[in-house]
Formats: sequence, C-alpha cells, structure tokens
Amino acid sequence: MSENPSWKGHQKARRRKDLLNEIFLWIIMLIFFIPALWIILTSVRIRSEILAHPPIWIPSGFTLDSYKILFGMPTPEGAFGLGGAIPVAKYASNSIVISLTATLFALVFGTLAGYVFSRYKFKGKNFIFLGLMLARAVPGIALSLPLFMMFARINLSDTKLGMTTIYIALTIPFTAWLMDGFFRTIPKELDEAARIDGCSTWGAFVRVDLPLVLPGAAAAGIFAFLTAWNEFALASIITRTPASRTFPPALFEFTGQFVSDWRGMTAMSVLMLIPAIVFVAIIQRQLLAGLTSGATKG
Amino acid sequence: MTTQSVAVGPSRRKRKRFQFTDRHLPLLLLFPSVVIIVLVIGFPMLYSLYISFTNFNLTNPKVIEFIGFQNYITLLTRDSQFWKAFGRTVLFITLAVNIELILGLGIAQMMARLARGKGLARTLMMMPMMFAPILVGFQFKWFFDAQLGLVNNILYSITGQSQLIPWLIKVPLGFISILVAEIWMSTPFMVIILEAGILSLPTEPFEAAEVDGASGWQKFRLLTLPMIMPFIYTAMAIRSLDLARAFDVVSIMTGGGPANRTELIWTYVNRLAFNGKEFALGAAMSFIAVILSLVFTYMFFNNVLKSRWTEEVEL
Amino acid sequence: MSAQKRVSRRDFLKVVSLTGGAAVLTACATATPEPTEAPAVPTAPAVVGKPFDGKTLRMHAISGANYDELYKLIPAWEEETGAKVEMVFKGNGFETDKRLVQDFAAGTVDYDVAWDHSSFFSQYVKADGLEPLDAYFSTEDLADFIPGILNAGKRDGKLWVMPRHFDISCMHYRTDVGLAGPPETWDDFKAGALKVTQDNPGVFGTQFAGKEEALTGRFYEVLLAEGGQLLDDSFMPAFNSPAGVKAISMFSELYSAGAMPPDMTNFLWEDVANQWVNGLIGMYTEWYGWYSYFQDPASSKVAGKFDIARQPMGDGNIHSGWAGHHGFSITKASKEKEMAASLIKHLTSVEGNQLEAKLGILISRQSVWDQIIKEAETSTDPLAKKRLELAVLQAQEDFRTPPLIAEWLPLSNILYPILQQVILGDTEPQAGLDEAATKVEEMMKGAGY
Repeated sequence: MSENPSWKGHQKARRRKDLLNEIFLWIIMLIFFIPALWIILTSVRIRSEILAHPPIWIPSGFTLDSYKILFGMPTPEGAFGLGGAIPVAKYASNSIVISLTATLFALVFGTLAGYVFSRYKFKGKNFIFLGLMLARAVPGIALSLPLFMMFARINLSDTKLGMTTIYIALTIPFTAWLMDGFFRTIPKELDEAARIDGCSTWGAFVRVDLPLVLPGAAAAGIFAFLTAWNEFALASIITRTPASRTFPPALFEFTGQFVSDWRGMTAMSVLMLIPAIVFVAIIQRQLLAGLTSGATKG
Repeated sequence: MTTQSVAVGPSRRKRKRFQFTDRHLPLLLLFPSVVIIVLVIGFPMLYSLYISFTNFNLTNPKVIEFIGFQNYITLLTRDSQFWKAFGRTVLFITLAVNIELILGLGIAQMMARLARGKGLARTLMMMPMMFAPILVGFQFKWFFDAQLGLVNNILYSITGQSQLIPWLIKVPLGFISILVAEIWMSTPFMVIILEAGILSLPTEPFEAAEVDGASGWQKFRLLTLPMIMPFIYTAMAIRSLDLARAFDVVSIMTGGGPANRTELIWTYVNRLAFNGKEFALGAAMSFIAVILSLVFTYMFFNNVLKSRWTEEVEL
Repeated sequence: MSAQKRVSRRDFLKVVSLTGGAAVLTACATATPEPTEAPAVPTAPAVVGKPFDGKTLRMHAISGANYDELYKLIPAWEEETGAKVEMVFKGNGFETDKRLVQDFAAGTVDYDVAWDHSSFFSQYVKADGLEPLDAYFSTEDLADFIPGILNAGKRDGKLWVMPRHFDISCMHYRTDVGLAGPPETWDDFKAGALKVTQDNPGVFGTQFAGKEEALTGRFYEVLLAEGGQLLDDSFMPAFNSPAGVKAISMFSELYSAGAMPPDMTNFLWEDVANQWVNGLIGMYTEWYGWYSYFQDPASSKVAGKFDIARQPMGDGNIHSGWAGHHGFSITKASKEKEMAASLIKHLTSVEGNQLEAKLGILISRQSVWDQIIKEAETSTDPLAKKRLELAVLQAQEDFRTPPLIAEWLPLSNILYPILQQVILGDTEPQAGLDEAATKVEEMMKGAGY
C-alpha cells in the first residue's frame, strides 16, 4: 500500500495540507489571543504607558510594581486606590474553594441528571427539562436582590457555603444538558451488552457509559468551573467581606467612580488566570485520556 | 414479580415495602439537582414574581402594595423601549450564536486535525473564556475608544487616515462592537464543545473515507457534520438562552447606551430596577423576558427535542 | 433482576445520603449564624477615661485613592476611645449606594456609620434608614462648617449628613490653544469651543461626561446658569423651558459641529480626565479633585498649560456649579449611636480636614480653608492659591446641589438617555425635553408628589 506512488503523493499532499492547517490555526489563535495578551502586558507596564495616546505597542520597560502593590509590598509608585494591602490570598482561596466545590457537585448531580434524560422517559420529564432551561435562562442580575433577601434571612449571606450552593444551582442545568448530549452518542447496544454480561443498571453506567463520556464531563467541568470562577453579578451582592468575597467583585473594586486602576485590575486578572489555566490544563489531560480510549472502543 | 420474590428469599417481607425498581432510579438521580435548583433559583423567582405584582420601589421599600397586572400592562403596551430592547436582544443572540457556531466549528475542525500541540492550542483557545466578563468589558471599551483605543490606532497605522471612528456610538457600530466582544469571549465555548464532539467520533468511517479518496471537505460535510449535530443543537440551544451572558460586558462597554442604542433586555432591567429604583417593574420585565426567551427557544428547538426523545426506555 | 433491585436500593441510599449531607451542611450553616446586627455590648467601660472600651464600631465606607487617606485617622480614635472600628464594606460611590439601598430595603443593616453624599441621602431618609444628627452635634460643633455645604445635608429641618469634603466644578481652559481668556458667558464658551476646534487640528473645543448621572448633572449646571430649573416648587418638571432648550441645544450644536469627541456620550469621569491629560481638549468644566493629576508631568501632557476660572454665566445671571459633598451618617439601626457620633466628629475634625486638604481635596471647615489659603501663598505652583480661593468662593456662592429628593437618580435615569438622543441629533431639543418632562412628571406623581 505504501509503495503505491499515488498513495505517496496523496500522503505528501496531506502533509502539506496539515501544515497549512496548522499555520492558519495558529494565526487565528493569535488574533484571539491579542486582547488577552494586552491585558497581561498592561499588568507589567509602567504606569504612564498604560493609557498613553497613541497606544504604545513596544513597552520601554517592564515592571512588577502592579503585582507588588497588590500584595502590599512597597514600591516607588505608591499604593493602589484601595490604600493598603488587598487580601489577595483570601480572595484566591475563596474563589478556589467555592469554584472547585461547586464544580464537583455540579458534575456529579449534572451527570446523573444527564444520564436520566438520555435514557429514560417518565411522567413530568419534559416539565423538569423545561424547568432546567428556565433556570438557565435567568441571569444573576434578576436573581440578585430576591436571593440576597432570602439568604440574609437564613444567615447564608456573605458565606462561602451560600456562594457554593448558588453556583451549583447555576451550573447544573448546563452540565446536565451537555452530559445528556454525550450520553446519547453511546449506542444502546453497549448498555444492553453490558447488562447481558451481568451488570446492573448502575454497574453498566459506571463501567460502560461513564468512561465514554469523559470528554464531555471534562468539557462540562471546565465550563462549570469557569462560570463559578468569573461570576460577578451575584457574587458582588451576596459577598460583602473578605470572608467570602471572590475575585470578580474584588476586581470591580478597582473601578472607582472617578478612576479605574488598570494596574490593579490587570494584575489581579492575571492572578485570576493562573488557577483557571492550571485547572483547565489538568482536566484537559483527562479529556485526551478519555478520548483515546473512546476512539478505540468505537 | 415472581422472579423477584424468588431471588430475594427470606427477607422478602421486609423488602416488599421498599420496592425500588428501575422506575424509581431516574427520579432519585434527578432529585438532588432538582432540589438545589428549586431552592436557589425557584424560590427567589417566586418571590420576584410576587414582587412583580406589587409596586415595590427601592426608594420607598416599606411600601409593598398589590397592584395586579399593572406592571405587565405598562411594559407590554406602553413601553416601546422594552420591545426595542427585546428585538435588539433577539438579533444580538441570533447573530452571536450563529457566528460563534461557524467560527467554532471551523476552529474545532482545524484543532482536531492538529498532529501535536493540541493541549496547548486548546488552552490558548480558552483564554478569552478565562477572563472575567467585566474585565473583558473594560478592555474592549478601551480598545474601541475613539481617541485612545487600539482599534482606531491600528486602522490609522494601516490606512494612514486619522478618521476617528466612534465605535461605541454610531448606530450599527455600537452593536457591532458589543457583538465582537461577545463573540471573542464565547467562541471558545463552542470550540471546546464541538472539538470534544469531533474527537469522540468513531475513527473507522473516517479511515474508510480516507481510503476511498474523500477530500477533507467531503469528510467534513458528509461525516463530521451529521454526526455532531446533537452537539451543535445542544450548544446552540444553550447559547441562545444565554441572554444574560453578555450583560456584564455590555453593561461596562456602553451601559446600553448611548441613548439606548445598544440596550439589551438585561441592561434595561438593571437600570430600571437599580438606577430607576423601580424594582417591581424590573421584576415584571425579567419574567416577560424569561418566558419570551423560553417560548422562542422552545419553538426553534421543538423539532430537536422531539427527535431526541427517541432512544429512551419506556417506563 | 434481583441484582438490579439490590443495586437500586444502594443507589437510593447513595442519593439520599448525598442530599442528606447537603441538607445537614445547610442546617449547620443556619445553626451557627454569622452576626448580622451590631452587637449590643454591656455599657460599663472597663477602663476609666476610655469611653468605649472593648466595643466595636462598624463602618460602611467609600474607597478609592482620595477617600482612603482619611481613614488613617482611625487608629488614633481607637486608641483614644478603646473601641475598635470594623470596616464592613468598602467600595466606590455607586456600589456603596447600591448596597445601602439594598440593606435599607432588606433590613440587613449591620453597621453604625455609613458613608453618605448630598445627592444620595434623601433616598436613605425616605427609606427610614438614617438617624437625625441634631441630637449629637451642637451648634458649636457645626459652627466651623461652610453653611452652604452643611445645608446640602439637611432635609425636613434636620441634619442627616456631617460633611467631610465637597467637590464642585470650575472651568479648566488651556493657555496654549489660542484662547484669550476664560469665557464669561456660556455663549462665549460655545463660540470659543468652536474656534478652538477650528484652529487646532486634533484638539476638540470641549467635552462633557456624556452618560448617566454625570450628564444629567452637567446639563443641570448649564440649565441653572441659563435661568432654568429642574423641578418647580411643586416638584414637577420645569426643564423643558426655553432655558432648558437653550442649554441642551448648546450641547447638541457643539457635538454636531465636531467640537466634542464623537464618543463623548460614552464618557464618564475617568474618560473626560483622560482626554484632557492627553491634550485633546481646549476647555471644559471639571472637578477640582483632579488637579494634582493634571499638573503631574509624568502622567499629564497639559501640566502647566492650563488655567482655571469660575463657571460662565448664562441668561440667569448666576455662576452655576454642580456640587455635592461626601460625609458620614449614623444608621437608624445602630445600637451605638454615641460611639458613631464620636467617630464622625473625629473624622470631620480640623485634623481630618487638614489631612484631606493636603491631598488637594476640598474640605468643609472655614478655619482650615483660611489656613491653607495662607499656606498657598508660598507655593511654587502659581495656580495653588488661586485654586483654593476659587474653590472656597464657589462653595460660598455657587454651591448648587441637585434637588435633594430621593427621586434624583430615577429622574436622572429617565432624563439622560433623552439628553443623549438630543446631543446625538436623534431628537429635537424641545421635543426631547417635553418627552422627558412627561415621563418625569409621571414618575414624580407615582412617588406621591
């Protein structure tokens, strides 16, 4: 087969196409990346160059002052508007704890729900499905005041538990949907085969279905995490003190009525990026692992 | 029934009371999800619904009087602003979802073909999604600033014309600017879902097509596309309900202005409820918006839903 | 079959325990409530001479470069009184207001001292969230404060806000774009702005913050100068008068002539300041608070190239000046009102004023003004003394707050999009103002006026 000249030619053409594909893709990604790059760049710029006109492309020097100030370390440029050390570590730990916990629970509950939607039909199913859609359609801003009043009454306002619960509720619908879609790609014959082999429904679920939808679970996990990580409207109302405050409202604190402190904002944004990237990178490996096994099963 | 009692044996009498069969399994698995959502979203929404029938105003919070459908009538019949915002929102979502889909599909396909560096590509691709929407709002607001912004600066370097384009002000431009910001932020979402879908497809049909000499485009159109349709539908359904996602970004970039030119439903609700202090009116509007969006989505995807309920087990 | 059933029961247990666990966690949360009220502490002070020893005072404050400096005085007060101050919240002005509104509405007020502002306090009073200050501040305590500023915190004959510092806007104009001097009237201003735009390519004659409350305020300023009023004596809209039309027409004519940045309708305070320091504007009205930033060569291209003056007059023959002051209030829900008053007195003391004055902030005590004006005589900055004298003059004579009603923001919310429409040319001035007047009237009537 490989000696066939037309096949070789075909291979060459294919490799060329692959290379073109790769180059084209990287160009697109670069375009996508530019705004992100700008944000990161701003966080290491000298103050006077940040809002310069015309915009300065090549910075004349780099400085870590933005980060230093964020952590309350002395610099020649002086403090941010917040005047004093910002409890960055607390914000970080709050965000991490809340987002991870919410993601975990949302994945568990959402995957189970998705499985049910994909396999079973029962009274009230459409109703529940629509209910999930409805829940998804409601944005944070509409929920904020009623939720705040409710939580205040049961003492969940300004708590990590309160925020976690909210984020679980916010991310379950999407997780369930996504997992539903992925479960449907598994042909029923596989389930039946497993059952014939003596597995219970649950056993079939765990041993056959679950591994096959790992890419979906990974994707769902990433989205759930990022949703919780970057959510602003509800966090800004329910959290009030560093006891439960997460990064997004903390970020907004840099926007004064009169001045926005870009240094603080971008520095904190970059800090926010790091756990997000780490999380995504880890889950990604899971995605790849799940995919190779799925492909061979095919 | 007989098989069951035989297998259970001596503890049958005890077991009779807890007959949990497969019939109960789905409901039990759904239970935690439903409970949490009812608590966290259901109750506040009910409270909000109640408020929407009152005249609750934040400047006068002690006064809550029942006024029936007054708010709804006002909004639906006398507020042209509401309908304009709604129409604009529908247009915004439609455009955003479709463009994101096409872009996402293209990028996902290219990414799936990568021989190496998939992980890096995926991580880079997800960068826009990883920034908090409010930061994206600030960043793009600055990019599109007529005097100081990057976009005009680049245009000037390329064309040499120092025409200052007010991206956030003029009629189609403002809309385009927020659309660009939203697409930038959310295309990665599509890419991830679709790429996961593409990668989970079985490889044999593709190998067979390869041997048969099918071109890349043919493979895509005849194999990939049909097989990932469920993912496409899912992604689109979700995104089209995400009326609120763009809220943070738009709110910061233009605040729905100027002169309501970029007003979307949720920026309008926010201003009405929190700046105008007319919270009851805002609550009513939220409900109308939610119901309308549900109807809209349900109509669009009714066929999809019907086709999906084919594989379940009849209980 | 049996295996299935057994497993089903295991499932059931799994599911129940998951939800049960969640329920237990929630129960734990409610069982150990976080304190939501200012703690009521036994009265007898432990140490003689320290009046509030061992107590905690909770504060809801505004944050930002200008504002945080004053809080450095707090440790001294804590030392003196033995109390501790806990910052319950710090955020920018609008965020702080939003929270206060929510707290007053939901009844979740758990702090004693709250930031307040002349434009906002009326709504808090209406929501019955504040405590009148007359019982805690004697006539002597109040004597040193500039009357105009103090009065901006009064309503229904009671004092609700102790002033901390104020801000007002004056005309900033460039000395290097061909302007002969500051404009005397708004008509001069308009002509001057058009001329500057013509003679200096790349520079706009003027600008205004073009959205939200900022725009309403700027329009209000000019409206007053032209002899108009926002609301009449029965609190019904009066801005669609000829004075109002003249005022807004000036804006729209300047815009359509290209004398203002095309995206000014998206500008807020930071944006107009940015345009100015990048040298793009000829003249405009701006708050005093920016002065040091404007004169800093490291960040401003117009350092040393501009002058300041009183606002122009209009047909109304007055110099206008949209003003407001920041201050402190005591919440009605507070259980430590005496302690709150004590802290407020400390923060608004002569020392407090002096601290803020060093940052160029416009403070509210006459005695401190006299002092710093004298000090400015020896300053290297030629504008230093003029600036202070101008500021205090404006405070005494041109201090105009928006109507001190709870409905100021809702009014602004209705008005500003229409003002934007007129500026952008989507609507004619009279038609736009009439439409706004109808809506505002409806709103005010609905509010009980």
